Amino acid sequence: MASHEHAHPAGYKQYFMTWLWLLIMTSAALVIGYFHFLPEGIKAFLLVSITLAKIFLIGSIFMHLKSERVNLVMLTFSPLVLSIVLFFFTFGETIGTNPTHQLENQSPKFVMPTGEVKH
Amino acid sequence: MESTSLAEQQRILASDWGGGKSPFGTSWSKFMMWIFIISDALTFAGFLIAYGFMRRVAPAWPVQMEVFDPLLITFMTFVLISSSAVMAMAVSAARAGDPKSATKFLALTILGGAIFLGCQAYEWWHFIHEGATLTTNPWGVPQFSASFFVITGFHGFHVFSGLTILAIVALRAAMGKYSGDSVENAGLYWHFVDVVWVFVFAFFYLL
Repeated sequence: MASHEHAHPAGYKQYFMTWLWLLIMTSAALVIGYFHFLPEGIKAFLLVSITLAKIFLIGSIFMHLKSERVNLVMLTFSPLVLSIVLFFFTFGETIGTNPTHQLENQSPKFVMPTGEVKH
Repeated sequence: MESTSLAEQQRILASDWGGGKSPFGTSWSKFMMWIFIISDALTFAGFLIAYGFMRRVAPAWPVQMEVFDPLLITFMTFVLISSSAVMAMAVSAARAGDPKSATKFLALTILGGAIFLGCQAYEWWHFIHEGATLTTNPWGVPQFSASFFVITGFHGFHVFSGLTILAIVALRAAMGKYSGDSVENAGLYWHFVDVVWVFVFAFFYLL
């Protein structure tokens, strides 16, 4: 029983270091996301990379996946793999639509469910 | 022949799964928690992919960090990550047979979750106060507020459920009626809630 064998009485330091790394990566993601100093493609790549690194840390250290059997670890990858498949399926449907742009003028206006615009 | 068969049956019933060897090397309750987490992850994956699709086909999208308070969102993220770290310590303490420390760490985790939920309630109140509903919002992109309410609402409900589970586990730990497995399973759920927020933080607020 893997879960019973590895109690962590002396593992607090490891959790503290993981927490510290998570905070550092969250701060880095905030800087990348909030200040628009990078091209959109690089920004997206960096944010996805940081997110996956954070998930790896939480999964392996906090959720103890690094101590589990490989077949359980592989099982936890299934949502990620299916998400990638789903992403490319739906991404194909958006080709040819107008590329999304960020609103420059955020003046309040209401779009009613009927399509009518109220300023 | 009969006695051999009986001995074999007893051996099987005495094993972890009552069906021979455990293929995943975990207790059944922990494995069931993992199955639940994986199925729940698929639900959130569906939400986030749908959000990406809606955003890509929308003619425009508001600058999220001008709509939401980046300091509040970052603070919420820090609080949830911190509560996750403390939860890991609670599992360690429970596994080490230290109910006093386990209860203390569980109480801190609950505090973190409650602060997160309070901040989210404030964020919702502010957003609704600005005129956002499920179908309309002041920025002229109905999908924007719809995806915000659905994704953060579903996540917030998970936080609330997690707090309820943690409160029960903490009470049982305080009374000495707990097992390492129950604390670990509650911890797995709480870390999952944190994992989902990491994705929401990156894809909904920052990207």
